[in-house]
Amino acid sequence: MLLDVRHLKVHYPVRGGFFRRVVDHVKAVDDVSFSLNRGETYGLVGESGCGKTTTGRTIIGLIRATAGEVLFEGTDLTKLSRRQFHPYRKDIQMIFQDPYSSLNPRKRVLDIIAEPLRNFEKLSPHEERKKVQSILERVGLSADSIYKYPHEFSGGQRQRIGIARALMLNPKLIIADEPVSALDVSVQAQVLNFMKDIQQDYGLTYLFISHDLGIIRHMCDRIGIMYRGRLVEEGTSEDIFANPQHIYTKRLLSAIPNADPRERGKQTALRREVEQEYAQAYSRYFDETGRAYPLKPISPTHSVAIP
Amino acid sequence: MKIEVNRPAPVEIAAEKSPSALSIMWRELVRDRLALVSLIILSVILLIVYGASIFLDQEEIVKVDFLAIYSPPSAEHWLGTDYGGRDVFGQLIIGARNSFTIGLAITLITGAIGLVVGLVAGYFGGWIDNVIMRIIDFILVLPFLMLVIVFVAIVPKYNVATFILIMSAFLWTGKARLIRAKTLAERELDYVSASKTLGTPDWKIILFQILPNLSSIIIVNLTLNLAGNIGIESGLTYLGFGLPESTPSLGTLVSYATNPDVLQNKWWVWLPASLLILVMMLCINFIGQALKRAADARQRLG
Repeated sequence: MLLDVRHLKVHYPVRGGFFRRVVDHVKAVDDVSFSLNRGETYGLVGESGCGKTTTGRTIIGLIRATAGEVLFEGTDLTKLSRRQFHPYRKDIQMIFQDPYSSLNPRKRVLDIIAEPLRNFEKLSPHEERKKVQSILERVGLSADSIYKYPHEFSGGQRQRIGIARALMLNPKLIIADEPVSALDVSVQAQVLNFMKDIQQDYGLTYLFISHDLGIIRHMCDRIGIMYRGRLVEEGTSEDIFANPQHIYTKRLLSAIPNADPRERGKQTALRREVEQEYAQAYSRYFDETGRAYPLKPISPTHSVAIP
Repeated sequence: MKIEVNRPAPVEIAAEKSPSALSIMWRELVRDRLALVSLIILSVILLIVYGASIFLDQEEIVKVDFLAIYSPPSAEHWLGTDYGGRDVFGQLIIGARNSFTIGLAITLITGAIGLVVGLVAGYFGGWIDNVIMRIIDFILVLPFLMLVIVFVAIVPKYNVATFILIMSAFLWTGKARLIRAKTLAERELDYVSASKTLGTPDWKIILFQILPNLSSIIIVNLTLNLAGNIGIESGLTYLGFGLPESTPSLGTLVSYATNPDVLQNKWWVWLPASLLILVMMLCINFIGQALKRAADARQRLG
């Protein structure tokens, strides 16, 4: 097991009243547990604001966890100071959602991609340039683009620069936070397939965060469905898509658009049916405060949040 | 029907190479006629002022000459003399040098302090930001003019250096607030998060990632502030709380106009200094406006 997230909580205080006392907490991530095996792709799915990005950013240390553990190869990352965390940065990298803001507009590609190298390895400028050029070719960009600036590239190319930067230190785990949601569909497939290729070459483990179920199905071995800061269902790709148990998962799956116009009527009917079921069965799946129940295993690989 | 007939055709400037911030600013300056003319005028004025002040002896110029009190412009005294028979032209040159040096020094010192404080407060946030901003708020509510006057009275050896220090002690707060606000916006961008996950230390992120993205704003703000700081010096001297009479400045010359007789009949004493202030301020402001446009891609002319 490479990564084990146990009872992770990220709560933000809500201040109010005259003395700005803490009146309540926003539970962005509320008791989330899952684990990643070496070499697999774990998908974290959910609607906007359900806490999937926060989970990813907490694992990599950009956000402090309120409680819980993030065990990376047995070490609890949440307890480490910044200095102690430093060696683990090599092993965990992140691909950001927005390829436009994740690359510094004032830096050349060489400086952007070599940034991790300069922090962890002492290389001569010549070696450094060679390394950057070889990885650029690996991600499908020409080696002479090292002196260009990010705005000279298209969105897909920029995202590949971001991926090249994340690969520079040979990480074990890559957290991909909606890596293709800012790209158009034709480029999405290109980037996703490229990510699959390098997964085999580099033996990477992905934590794949997305709201797009089609992409998740294409990419992931196991899937966790998040809703309001909690996991409501977890299982293999097969479990989730063929046998969804939680009402929220069903609702999410029914929302996948069907490209076949002849099926449109059927799809609408299905959606209505699920919507009705959602309205009726809501109270069975959520407790009186609207919180999902803890996960319960219904098969060795499949667990659902039911009472 | 096209209206913009006399606009020059856009010049193709090496499309594949991305222009640096400095070259964008330069292009904007050249495109804006007013700013270009301002830049030329300002350069000429500064060249003359700093060039001529090397050859002028301040001691000689401030020496009182009773035989030439209020003499009108002549071949000997190009701009006449003041009530002490001192040459106005010489005072104008030395004064312009002093005023500009003071304005520039205040701008640079406040810029440096504001940059450091603003970057630290904006980047780290939290209690560091809170403490720094409360200190700045405290300095801002102090009655600036009154305190300067008190300092002027207390400080025994009052000269250009002490004046610069006193002014800088109060004027850095505005810069710090501006830089902090920009840093706050900048640090939320993903490239800062990316640098953090890549293991880059904070000071490197601040200096090499965030600072370059603030550079254009800083240059624009400093330019526009330069004009204001020259004005502050002249204003305070005019009120009598600036530099002593032994150190000529533009403000001293203008303040002679408080005498109604000088104002009405002896224009040569105060008019050149007033015009010089006006021209310098306008030039700097026009240049600053052009730089400001260069910093915002939507407003650019070229």
